[in-house]
Amino acid sequence: MSSVEQGGINLKPSGRVAAAPSTALEEGGIGQTVGQTTVQDPIFSCRKVHVSYGNKHGIRDVSLDIGKRQVLAMIGPSGCGKSTFLRCLNRMNDTIPGARVTGEILLEGRDIHDRQLDVVQLRARVGMVFQKPNPFPKSIYENVAYGPRLHGLARSRAQLDDIVCSSLQRAGLWDEVKDRLAQAGTGLSGGQQQRLCIARTIAVQPEVILMDEPCSALDPVATARIEDLIDELQESYAIVIVTHSMQQAARVSQRTAYFHLGALVEVGETDRIFTNPRHKLTEDYITGRFG
Amino acid sequence: MLEGHISKAFDGALAALHIRVIEMGGLVLDQVREAARAYTSWDLQAAERVIDRAAVVSAYDEGIFQDQFTLIARRQPVSRDLRAVFAMEKSVAELERAGAEARKIARTVLRQSGRPARATSTDVRQLAQLATSLMRQSLEALDRLDGAIAAQVIAHDEELDAEYAAGLRRLLTRAMEDPRHLDIAMEAAFVLKSLERIGDHARIVARHIQSIAPQEGRAAGAPPADPADPSWPADSSASADPPTPTPDAS
Repeated sequence: MSSVEQGGINLKPSGRVAAAPSTALEEGGIGQTVGQTTVQDPIFSCRKVHVSYGNKHGIRDVSLDIGKRQVLAMIGPSGCGKSTFLRCLNRMNDTIPGARVTGEILLEGRDIHDRQLDVVQLRARVGMVFQKPNPFPKSIYENVAYGPRLHGLARSRAQLDDIVCSSLQRAGLWDEVKDRLAQAGTGLSGGQQQRLCIARTIAVQPEVILMDEPCSALDPVATARIEDLIDELQESYAIVIVTHSMQQAARVSQRTAYFHLGALVEVGETDRIFTNPRHKLTEDYITGRFG
Repeated sequence: MLEGHISKAFDGALAALHIRVIEMGGLVLDQVREAARAYTSWDLQAAERVIDRAAVVSAYDEGIFQDQFTLIARRQPVSRDLRAVFAMEKSVAELERAGAEARKIARTVLRQSGRPARATSTDVRQLAQLATSLMRQSLEALDRLDGAIAAQVIAHDEELDAEYAAGLRRLLTRAMEDPRHLDIAMEAAFVLKSLERIGDHARIVARHIQSIAPQEGRAAGAPPADPADPSWPADSSASADPPTPTPDAS
Protein backbone atom coordinates (compact mmCIF):
# COMPACT_ATOMS: atom_id res chain seq x y z
CA MET A 1 0.00 0.00 0.00
CA SER A 2 1.38 3.38 -0.92
CA SER A 3 1.54 6.14 1.62
CA VAL A 4 -1.33 7.93 -0.06
CA GLU A 5 -3.65 4.96 0.14
CA GLN A 6 -3.62 5.17 3.90
CA GLY A 7 -5.95 8.15 3.72
CA GLY A 8 -6.21 10.38 6.76
CA ILE A 9 -3.55 12.86 7.66
CA ASN A 10 -0.52 10.79 8.53
CA LEU A 11 0.95 10.69 5.08
CA LYS A 12 4.59 11.25 4.38
CA PRO A 13 6.32 11.98 1.10
CA SER A 14 8.33 9.15 -0.30
CA GLY A 15 11.54 10.73 0.98
CA ARG A 16 13.67 9.92 -2.00
CA VAL A 17 17.15 11.32 -1.77
CA ALA A 18 18.18 13.31 -4.78
CA ALA A 19 21.30 12.14 -6.50
CA ALA A 20 24.35 14.30 -6.15
CA PRO A 21 24.42 16.89 -8.89
CA SER A 22 25.56 15.09 -11.95
CA THR A 23 27.64 17.27 -14.18
CA ALA A 24 27.84 17.11 -17.88
CA LEU A 25 31.59 17.17 -17.43
CA GLU A 26 31.44 13.76 -15.79
CA GLU A 27 29.48 12.54 -18.75
CA GLY A 28 32.04 13.72 -21.24
CA GLY A 29 32.32 17.49 -21.20
CA ILE A 30 30.01 20.49 -20.97
CA GLY A 31 29.77 20.72 -24.70
CA GLN A 32 28.37 23.69 -26.50
CA THR A 33 27.10 26.70 -24.65
CA VAL A 34 23.33 26.58 -24.24
CA GLY A 35 21.52 29.74 -25.28
CA GLN A 36 22.13 32.64 -27.62
CA THR A 37 25.73 33.79 -27.27
CA THR A 38 25.39 36.52 -29.88
CA VAL A 39 23.39 39.74 -29.74
CA GLN A 40 22.37 42.32 -32.26
CA ASP A 41 24.66 45.34 -32.26
CA PRO A 42 27.29 44.05 -29.82
CA ILE A 43 29.95 46.28 -28.31
CA PHE A 44 32.15 43.26 -27.53
CA SER A 45 32.31 40.13 -29.68
CA CYS A 46 34.37 37.37 -28.10
CA ARG A 47 35.11 34.18 -29.99
CA LYS A 48 36.84 31.08 -28.64
CA VAL A 49 38.59 32.97 -25.88
CA HIS A 50 41.00 30.72 -24.03
CA VAL A 51 43.07 31.82 -21.05
CA SER A 52 45.79 29.79 -19.41
CA TYR A 53 48.19 30.52 -16.61
CA GLY A 54 51.22 28.36 -17.31
CA ASN A 55 49.83 24.83 -17.45
CA LYS A 56 46.54 25.75 -15.87
CA HIS A 57 43.49 26.60 -17.93
CA GLY A 58 41.46 29.56 -16.75
CA ILE A 59 38.72 29.55 -19.37
CA ARG A 60 38.22 27.48 -22.49
CA ASP A 61 36.65 28.45 -25.80
CA VAL A 62 34.32 31.08 -24.44
CA SER A 63 32.29 32.80 -27.14
CA LEU A 64 30.02 35.58 -25.98
CA ASP A 65 28.73 38.92 -27.22
CA ILE A 66 28.11 41.88 -24.94
CA GLY A 67 25.34 44.19 -26.05
CA LYS A 68 25.32 47.95 -25.89
CA ARG A 69 23.35 49.57 -23.11
CA GLN A 70 22.59 46.37 -21.29
CA VAL A 71 23.80 44.65 -18.16
CA LEU A 72 25.34 41.20 -18.48
CA ALA A 73 25.72 39.31 -15.21
CA MET A 74 28.28 36.54 -14.98
CA ILE A 75 27.64 33.96 -12.29
CA GLY A 76 29.21 30.68 -11.27
CA PRO A 77 31.06 29.00 -8.44
CA SER A 78 34.45 30.26 -7.29
CA GLY A 79 37.19 29.47 -9.77
CA CYS A 80 34.82 29.00 -12.70
CA GLY A 81 36.51 31.66 -14.80
CA LYS A 82 34.03 34.51 -14.71
CA SER A 83 36.52 37.04 -13.32
CA THR A 84 39.18 35.73 -15.69
CA PHE A 85 36.88 36.40 -18.62
CA LEU A 86 36.00 39.84 -17.24
CA ARG A 87 39.66 40.72 -16.98
CA CYS A 88 40.21 39.71 -20.60
CA LEU A 89 37.89 42.47 -21.73
CA ASN A 90 40.29 45.27 -20.80
CA ARG A 91 43.44 43.16 -20.94
CA MET A 92 43.94 43.15 -17.20
CA ASN A 93 45.28 39.62 -17.58
CA ASP A 94 48.31 41.14 -19.34
CA THR A 95 49.54 42.15 -15.91
CA ILE A 96 49.62 38.55 -14.65
CA PRO A 97 52.91 36.74 -15.31
CA GLY A 98 52.43 33.58 -17.36
CA ALA A 99 48.91 34.47 -18.46
CA ARG A 100 48.18 33.63 -22.07
CA VAL A 101 45.05 34.73 -23.86
CA THR A 102 44.04 33.30 -27.25
CA GLY A 103 40.93 33.75 -29.33
CA GLU A 104 39.35 36.89 -30.62
CA ILE A 105 37.99 39.79 -28.59
CA LEU A 106 36.59 42.57 -30.72
CA LEU A 107 35.62 45.93 -29.24
CA GLU A 108 33.37 47.68 -31.75
CA GLY A 109 34.85 45.40 -34.41
CA ARG A 110 38.49 45.97 -33.52
CA ASP A 111 40.70 43.30 -31.96
CA ILE A 112 41.79 44.48 -28.52
CA HIS A 113 45.01 42.51 -28.91
CA ASP A 114 45.98 44.51 -31.98
CA ARG A 115 49.57 45.67 -31.48
CA GLN A 116 48.58 49.13 -32.68
CA LEU A 117 46.03 49.48 -29.92
CA ASP A 118 47.01 51.53 -26.87
CA VAL A 119 46.17 49.55 -23.72
CA VAL A 120 45.77 52.75 -21.69
CA GLN A 121 43.18 53.96 -24.18
CA LEU A 122 41.50 50.56 -24.08
CA ARG A 123 41.19 50.75 -20.32
CA ALA A 124 39.71 54.22 -20.61
CA ARG A 125 37.08 52.84 -22.97
CA VAL A 126 36.54 49.78 -20.80
CA GLY A 127 36.55 50.93 -17.19
CA MET A 128 36.62 48.66 -14.20
CA VAL A 129 35.23 48.72 -10.69
CA PHE A 130 36.70 46.25 -8.25
CA GLN A 131 35.41 44.26 -5.33
CA LYS A 132 36.96 46.49 -2.70
CA PRO A 133 36.63 50.24 -3.16
CA ASN A 134 40.09 51.55 -4.00
CA PRO A 135 40.04 55.35 -4.03
CA PHE A 136 43.38 57.07 -4.53
CA PRO A 137 44.81 58.58 -1.33
CA LYS A 138 43.83 61.98 -2.62
CA SER A 139 40.91 64.32 -2.35
CA ILE A 140 37.46 63.40 -3.64
CA TYR A 141 37.90 65.97 -6.40
CA GLU A 142 41.30 64.61 -7.44
CA ASN A 143 40.02 61.05 -7.46
CA VAL A 144 37.55 61.96 -10.18
CA ALA A 145 39.70 64.54 -11.96
CA TYR A 146 42.74 62.28 -12.29
CA GLY A 147 41.51 60.26 -15.29
CA PRO A 148 40.16 63.14 -17.41
CA ARG A 149 43.36 65.06 -16.76
CA LEU A 150 45.51 62.05 -17.75
CA HIS A 151 43.55 61.50 -20.95
CA GLY A 152 43.36 65.20 -21.79
CA LEU A 153 39.60 65.33 -21.69
CA ALA A 154 39.48 68.81 -20.12
CA ARG A 155 41.07 71.92 -21.63
CA SER A 156 40.40 74.19 -18.71
CA ARG A 157 39.77 74.07 -14.99
CA ALA A 158 36.12 74.92 -15.60
CA GLN A 159 35.75 71.93 -17.95
CA LEU A 160 37.41 69.68 -15.40
CA ASP A 161 35.06 70.99 -12.72
CA ASP A 162 32.14 70.17 -14.99
CA ILE A 163 33.38 66.63 -15.55
CA VAL A 164 33.93 66.07 -11.84
CA CYS A 165 30.51 67.48 -11.00
CA SER A 166 28.63 65.49 -13.66
CA SER A 167 30.49 62.27 -12.86
CA LEU A 168 29.70 62.56 -9.16
CA GLN A 169 26.09 63.36 -10.03
CA ARG A 170 25.80 60.33 -12.31
CA ALA A 171 27.30 58.20 -9.58
CA GLY A 172 24.69 59.52 -7.17
CA LEU A 173 27.32 60.97 -4.86
CA TRP A 174 27.24 64.70 -5.61
CA ASP A 175 24.72 65.71 -2.97
CA GLU A 176 26.68 63.89 -0.29
CA VAL A 177 30.13 65.28 -1.13
CA LYS A 178 29.61 68.62 -2.89
CA ASP A 179 30.62 70.55 0.22
CA ARG A 180 33.72 68.52 0.96
CA LEU A 181 35.38 67.86 -2.38
CA ALA A 182 38.77 68.69 -0.92
CA GLN A 183 38.50 66.01 1.74
CA ALA A 184 40.22 62.66 1.31
CA GLY A 185 38.30 60.05 -0.72
CA THR A 186 39.45 57.42 1.74
CA GLY A 187 37.45 59.17 4.47
CA LEU A 188 34.13 58.25 2.85
CA SER A 189 32.03 55.26 3.89
CA GLY A 190 32.49 51.97 1.99
CA GLY A 191 29.41 52.52 -0.18
CA GLN A 192 30.40 56.12 -0.89
CA GLN A 193 33.93 55.03 -1.78
CA GLN A 194 32.56 52.48 -4.25
CA ARG A 195 30.36 55.15 -5.84
CA LEU A 196 33.43 57.42 -5.94
CA CYS A 197 35.24 54.67 -7.85
CA ILE A 198 32.30 54.45 -10.24
CA ALA A 199 32.41 58.24 -10.67
CA ARG A 200 36.14 57.95 -11.37
CA THR A 201 35.42 55.30 -13.98
CA ILE A 202 32.72 57.20 -15.80
CA ALA A 203 34.71 60.46 -15.70
CA VAL A 204 36.84 59.19 -18.60
CA GLN A 205 33.72 58.52 -20.68
CA PRO A 206 34.03 54.77 -21.08
CA GLU A 207 31.84 52.66 -23.35
CA VAL A 208 31.85 49.62 -21.10
CA ILE A 209 32.02 49.30 -17.32
CA LEU A 210 33.30 46.07 -15.85
CA MET A 211 32.33 45.36 -12.26
CA ASP A 212 33.97 42.56 -10.31
CA GLU A 213 31.73 41.83 -7.31
CA PRO A 214 31.21 45.56 -6.70
CA CYS A 215 28.90 45.10 -3.72
CA SER A 216 30.45 42.19 -1.89
CA ALA A 217 32.09 44.51 0.65
CA LEU A 218 29.03 46.71 1.11
CA ASP A 219 26.04 46.67 3.44
CA PRO A 220 22.50 46.13 2.02
CA VAL A 221 21.69 49.86 1.85
CA ALA A 222 24.91 50.70 0.00
CA THR A 223 24.31 47.67 -2.22
CA ALA A 224 20.83 48.91 -3.09
CA ARG A 225 22.26 52.30 -4.05
CA ILE A 226 24.89 50.73 -6.29
CA GLU A 227 22.26 48.51 -7.93
CA ASP A 228 20.08 51.56 -8.49
CA LEU A 229 23.08 53.27 -10.04
CA ILE A 230 23.75 50.29 -12.32
CA ASP A 231 20.16 50.57 -13.49
CA GLU A 232 20.68 54.24 -14.41
CA LEU A 233 24.12 53.76 -15.95
CA GLN A 234 22.81 50.96 -18.13
CA GLU A 235 21.00 53.57 -20.22
CA SER A 236 24.37 54.91 -21.36
CA TYR A 237 26.88 52.09 -20.98
CA ALA A 238 27.33 48.39 -21.45
CA ILE A 239 27.90 46.89 -18.02
CA VAL A 240 29.37 43.51 -17.25
CA ILE A 241 29.06 42.48 -13.64
CA VAL A 242 30.53 39.48 -11.88
CA THR A 243 28.56 38.59 -8.79
CA HIS A 244 28.19 35.77 -6.32
CA SER A 245 24.74 37.00 -5.38
CA MET A 246 22.15 35.26 -7.52
CA GLN A 247 19.53 37.72 -6.37
CA GLN A 248 21.72 40.61 -7.44
CA ALA A 249 22.25 39.08 -10.88
CA ALA A 250 18.49 38.60 -11.17
CA ARG A 251 17.80 42.18 -10.05
CA VAL A 252 20.25 44.17 -12.15
CA SER A 253 20.92 42.30 -15.39
CA GLN A 254 19.12 41.73 -18.65
CA ARG A 255 21.33 38.79 -19.67
CA THR A 256 23.01 36.22 -17.48
CA ALA A 257 25.93 33.96 -18.29
CA TYR A 258 26.68 30.91 -16.17
CA PHE A 259 30.28 29.66 -16.03
CA HIS A 260 31.44 26.30 -14.73
CA LEU A 261 35.00 24.96 -14.61
CA GLY A 262 36.21 27.51 -17.12
CA ALA A 263 33.43 26.92 -19.63
CA LEU A 264 30.47 29.09 -20.50
CA VAL A 265 27.63 26.66 -19.81
CA GLU A 266 24.59 28.77 -20.53
CA VAL A 267 23.70 32.32 -21.44
CA GLY A 268 20.32 33.88 -21.93
CA GLU A 269 17.76 36.42 -20.86
CA THR A 270 17.94 36.80 -17.09
CA ASP A 271 14.19 36.25 -16.77
CA ARG A 272 14.53 32.85 -18.41
CA ILE A 273 17.73 31.79 -16.67
CA PHE A 274 16.17 32.30 -13.25
CA THR A 275 12.83 30.73 -14.03
CA ASN A 276 13.56 28.07 -16.59
CA PRO A 277 17.25 27.37 -17.14
CA ARG A 278 17.96 24.87 -19.88
CA HIS A 279 21.14 23.30 -18.55
CA LYS A 280 21.02 21.09 -15.49
CA LEU A 281 24.27 22.58 -14.19
CA THR A 282 22.76 26.06 -14.34
CA GLU A 283 19.63 24.89 -12.56
CA ASP A 284 21.55 23.07 -9.85
CA TYR A 285 23.73 26.10 -9.26
CA ILE A 286 21.05 28.78 -9.12
CA THR A 287 18.81 26.65 -6.91
CA GLY A 288 21.67 26.17 -4.47
CA ARG A 289 22.32 22.47 -5.03
CA PHE A 290 26.04 22.96 -5.51
CA GLY A 291 28.50 25.78 -5.80
CA MET B 1 13.76 16.23 -6.56
CA LEU B 2 13.10 18.78 -3.86
CA GLU B 3 16.20 17.73 -1.93
CA GLY B 4 19.88 18.23 -2.53
CA HIS B 5 20.34 21.87 -1.53
CA ILE B 6 23.58 22.89 0.09
CA SER B 7 21.41 24.47 2.76
CA LYS B 8 19.82 21.56 4.62
CA ALA B 9 17.40 24.00 6.20
CA PHE B 10 16.06 24.81 2.74
CA ASP B 11 15.67 21.09 2.05
CA GLY B 12 13.83 20.81 5.34
CA ALA B 13 11.49 23.72 4.62
CA LEU B 14 10.57 22.38 1.17
CA ALA B 15 10.12 18.84 2.51
CA ALA B 16 7.92 20.14 5.34
CA LEU B 17 5.78 22.02 2.83
CA HIS B 18 5.53 18.90 0.67
CA ILE B 19 4.47 16.80 3.67
CA ARG B 20 1.78 19.30 4.63
CA VAL B 21 0.33 19.26 1.10
CA ILE B 22 0.31 15.45 1.06
CA GLU B 23 -1.33 15.41 4.49
CA MET B 24 -4.01 17.78 3.26
CA GLY B 25 -4.48 15.60 0.17
CA GLY B 26 -4.92 12.53 2.35
CA LEU B 27 -7.52 14.31 4.41
CA VAL B 28 -9.41 15.49 1.34
CA LEU B 29 -9.31 11.96 -0.10
CA ASP B 30 -10.81 10.68 3.12
CA GLN B 31 -13.46 13.41 3.00
CA VAL B 32 -14.47 12.38 -0.52
CA ARG B 33 -14.68 8.69 0.43
CA GLU B 34 -16.66 9.46 3.58
CA ALA B 35 -19.05 11.82 1.79
CA ALA B 36 -19.74 9.29 -0.97
CA ARG B 37 -20.29 6.56 1.62
CA ALA B 38 -22.60 8.85 3.61
CA TYR B 39 -24.73 9.44 0.51
CA THR B 40 -24.83 5.88 -0.78
CA SER B 41 -25.47 4.40 2.70
CA TRP B 42 -27.53 7.39 3.82
CA ASP B 43 -25.34 7.66 6.92
CA LEU B 44 -26.06 10.92 8.75
CA GLN B 45 -23.21 10.50 11.22
CA ALA B 46 -20.70 10.08 8.43
CA ALA B 47 -22.07 13.21 6.75
CA GLU B 48 -21.67 15.14 10.01
CA ARG B 49 -18.06 13.99 10.30
CA VAL B 50 -17.38 15.34 6.82
CA ILE B 51 -18.88 18.70 7.75
CA ASP B 52 -16.90 18.81 11.01
CA ARG B 53 -13.60 18.03 9.31
CA ALA B 54 -14.13 20.66 6.60
CA ALA B 55 -12.68 23.19 9.04
CA VAL B 56 -9.51 21.10 9.29
CA VAL B 57 -9.17 21.17 5.49
CA SER B 58 -9.49 24.96 5.56
CA ALA B 59 -6.91 25.16 8.34
CA TYR B 60 -4.48 23.17 6.20
CA ASP B 61 -5.13 25.53 3.29
CA GLU B 62 -4.35 28.60 5.43
CA GLY B 63 -1.37 26.98 7.16
CA ILE B 64 0.23 25.88 3.90
CA PHE B 65 -0.24 29.36 2.45
CA GLN B 66 1.63 30.81 5.43
CA ASP B 67 4.40 28.23 5.05
CA GLN B 68 4.76 29.08 1.36
CA PHE B 69 4.76 32.79 2.10
CA THR B 70 7.52 32.34 4.68
CA LEU B 71 9.55 30.04 2.45
CA ILE B 72 9.46 32.51 -0.46
CA ALA B 73 10.36 35.42 1.83
CA ARG B 74 13.23 33.62 3.54
CA ARG B 75 14.66 31.48 0.74
CA GLN B 76 13.78 33.27 -2.51
CA PRO B 77 13.47 30.01 -4.45
CA VAL B 78 14.17 30.10 -8.19
CA SER B 79 13.71 27.83 -11.16
CA ARG B 80 12.36 24.35 -10.30
CA ASP B 81 12.11 25.20 -6.59
CA LEU B 82 9.96 28.21 -7.41
CA ARG B 83 7.88 26.13 -9.81
CA ALA B 84 7.48 23.48 -7.12
CA VAL B 85 6.28 26.02 -4.54
CA PHE B 86 3.74 27.46 -6.98
CA ALA B 87 2.66 24.01 -8.18
CA MET B 88 2.02 23.03 -4.57
CA GLU B 89 0.12 26.26 -3.96
CA LYS B 90 -2.09 25.57 -6.99
CA SER B 91 -2.52 21.93 -5.98
CA VAL B 92 -3.64 23.01 -2.52
CA ALA B 93 -6.28 25.25 -4.13
CA GLU B 94 -7.56 22.27 -6.15
CA LEU B 95 -7.58 20.03 -3.07
CA GLU B 96 -9.51 22.66 -1.15
CA ARG B 97 -12.11 22.76 -3.95
CA ALA B 98 -12.34 18.97 -3.99
CA GLY B 99 -12.92 19.12 -0.23
CA ALA B 100 -15.69 21.67 -0.81
CA GLU B 101 -17.39 19.24 -3.23
CA ALA B 102 -17.26 16.52 -0.56
CA ARG B 103 -18.86 18.97 1.88
CA LYS B 104 -21.65 19.64 -0.63
CA ILE B 105 -22.38 15.91 -0.89
CA ALA B 106 -22.48 15.61 2.90
CA ARG B 107 -24.90 18.54 3.13
CA THR B 108 -27.20 16.80 0.67
CA VAL B 109 -27.43 13.89 3.13
CA LEU B 110 -27.98 16.18 6.11
CA ARG B 111 -30.82 18.01 4.34
CA GLN B 112 -32.63 14.65 4.33
CA SER B 113 -34.59 15.55 1.24
CA GLY B 114 -34.92 11.88 0.41
CA ARG B 115 -32.81 8.77 0.23
CA PRO B 116 -31.81 7.86 -3.34
CA ALA B 117 -33.07 4.68 -4.96
CA ARG B 118 -30.78 1.67 -5.00
CA ALA B 119 -29.96 2.11 -8.70
CA THR B 120 -29.01 5.72 -8.13
CA SER B 121 -26.85 4.76 -5.15
CA THR B 122 -25.08 2.23 -7.36
CA ASP B 123 -24.36 4.90 -9.99
CA VAL B 124 -23.04 7.27 -7.32
CA ARG B 125 -20.92 4.51 -5.79
CA GLN B 126 -19.36 3.67 -9.14
CA LEU B 127 -18.58 7.29 -9.93
CA ALA B 128 -17.24 7.80 -6.39
CA GLN B 129 -14.88 4.87 -6.85
CA LEU B 130 -13.53 6.38 -10.04
CA ALA B 131 -13.22 9.85 -8.48
CA THR B 132 -11.44 8.60 -5.36
CA SER B 133 -9.18 6.42 -7.50
CA LEU B 134 -8.18 9.47 -9.56
CA MET B 135 -7.68 11.53 -6.42
CA ARG B 136 -5.57 8.77 -4.84
CA GLN B 137 -3.45 8.47 -7.99
CA SER B 138 -2.89 12.20 -8.22
CA LEU B 139 -1.80 12.24 -4.57
CA GLU B 140 0.51 9.35 -5.31
CA ALA B 141 1.98 11.40 -8.14
CA LEU B 142 2.26 14.39 -5.82
CA ASP B 143 3.90 12.26 -3.15
CA ARG B 144 6.52 10.84 -5.51
CA LEU B 145 6.56 13.81 -7.90
CA ASP B 146 6.01 11.24 -10.58
CA GLY B 147 5.09 12.60 -14.01
CA ALA B 148 4.14 9.14 -15.35
CA ILE B 149 1.47 8.60 -12.69
CA ALA B 150 0.26 12.16 -13.29
CA ALA B 151 -0.13 11.34 -17.00
CA GLN B 152 -2.26 8.31 -16.09
CA VAL B 153 -4.55 10.51 -13.99
CA ILE B 154 -5.03 12.89 -16.90
CA ALA B 155 -5.83 10.00 -19.24
CA HIS B 156 -8.23 8.30 -16.80
CA ASP B 157 -10.22 11.46 -16.19
CA GLU B 158 -11.91 10.87 -19.54
CA GLU B 159 -13.28 7.57 -18.21
CA LEU B 160 -14.76 9.41 -15.28
CA ASP B 161 -16.33 12.00 -17.57
CA ALA B 162 -17.86 9.21 -19.68
CA GLU B 163 -19.18 7.43 -16.58
CA TYR B 164 -20.63 10.71 -15.31
CA ALA B 165 -22.49 11.28 -18.59
CA ALA B 166 -23.81 7.70 -18.59
CA GLY B 167 -24.85 7.88 -14.92
CA LEU B 168 -26.65 11.17 -15.48
CA ARG B 169 -28.51 9.71 -18.49
CA ARG B 170 -29.64 6.73 -16.45
CA LEU B 171 -30.74 8.99 -13.61
CA LEU B 172 -32.80 11.20 -15.90
CA THR B 173 -34.38 8.20 -17.56
CA ARG B 174 -35.49 6.94 -14.16
CA ALA B 175 -36.74 10.42 -13.22
CA MET B 176 -38.86 10.59 -16.38
CA GLU B 177 -40.25 7.15 -15.71
CA ASP B 178 -41.20 8.14 -12.16
CA PRO B 179 -41.53 11.95 -11.91
CA ARG B 180 -42.78 11.76 -8.30
CA HIS B 181 -39.16 11.63 -7.09
CA LEU B 182 -37.80 14.35 -9.33
CA ASP B 183 -36.45 16.32 -6.34
CA ILE B 184 -34.38 13.33 -5.22
CA ALA B 185 -33.15 12.84 -8.77
CA MET B 186 -32.09 16.48 -8.88
CA GLU B 187 -30.11 16.06 -5.64
CA ALA B 188 -28.49 12.92 -7.06
CA ALA B 189 -27.54 14.81 -10.23
CA PHE B 190 -25.75 17.40 -8.11
CA VAL B 191 -23.91 14.62 -6.25
CA LEU B 192 -22.81 13.05 -9.56
CA LYS B 193 -21.64 16.46 -10.74
CA SER B 194 -19.65 16.97 -7.53
CA LEU B 195 -17.89 13.65 -8.04
CA GLU B 196 -17.14 14.48 -11.65
CA ARG B 197 -15.63 17.78 -10.52
CA ILE B 198 -13.53 16.01 -7.89
CA GLY B 199 -12.06 14.03 -10.77
CA ASP B 200 -11.36 17.29 -12.60
CA HIS B 201 -9.55 18.68 -9.56
CA ALA B 202 -7.46 15.49 -9.39
CA ARG B 203 -6.60 15.94 -13.06
CA ILE B 204 -5.51 19.56 -12.52
CA VAL B 205 -3.33 18.53 -9.57
CA ALA B 206 -1.75 15.97 -11.91
CA ARG B 207 -1.07 18.68 -14.49
CA HIS B 208 0.71 20.79 -11.88
CA ILE B 209 2.83 17.79 -10.92
CA GLN B 210 3.77 17.23 -14.54
CA SER B 211 5.14 20.76 -14.61
CA ILE B 212 7.62 20.03 -11.82
CA ALA B 213 8.28 16.30 -12.05
CA PRO B 214 11.76 15.26 -13.17
CA GLN B 215 11.68 14.48 -16.85
CA GLU B 216 12.80 11.09 -17.99
CA GLY B 217 15.94 11.16 -20.07
CA ARG B 218 16.50 14.87 -19.76
CA ALA B 219 20.09 15.31 -20.82
CA ALA B 220 22.25 18.06 -19.49
CA GLY B 221 21.40 21.00 -21.63
CA ALA B 222 17.99 19.75 -22.63
CA PRO B 223 15.19 22.18 -21.84
CA PRO B 224 12.92 21.41 -18.89
CA ALA B 225 9.16 21.74 -18.96
CA ASP B 226 8.39 25.21 -20.12
CA PRO B 227 5.67 27.13 -18.29
CA ALA B 228 5.46 29.35 -21.35
CA ASP B 229 4.28 26.34 -23.34
CA PRO B 230 0.57 26.85 -24.05
CA SER B 231 -0.15 23.26 -23.09
CA TRP B 232 1.38 23.71 -19.61
CA PRO B 233 -0.80 23.29 -17.24
CA ALA B 234 -3.52 24.99 -19.15
CA ASP B 235 -6.56 23.17 -17.94
CA SER B 236 -8.27 25.33 -15.39
CA SER B 237 -11.73 24.85 -16.75
CA ALA B 238 -12.78 22.86 -13.73
CA SER B 239 -11.86 25.74 -11.49
CA ALA B 240 -14.74 27.75 -12.85
CA ASP B 241 -18.14 27.44 -11.33
CA PRO B 242 -19.79 24.27 -12.53
CA PRO B 243 -22.74 24.36 -14.87
CA THR B 244 -25.86 23.37 -13.05
CA PRO B 245 -26.91 19.90 -14.13
CA THR B 246 -30.46 19.92 -15.31
CA PRO B 247 -32.59 17.30 -16.95
CA ASP B 248 -32.56 19.41 -20.11
CA ALA B 249 -28.79 19.30 -20.19
CA SER B 250 -28.80 15.59 -20.80
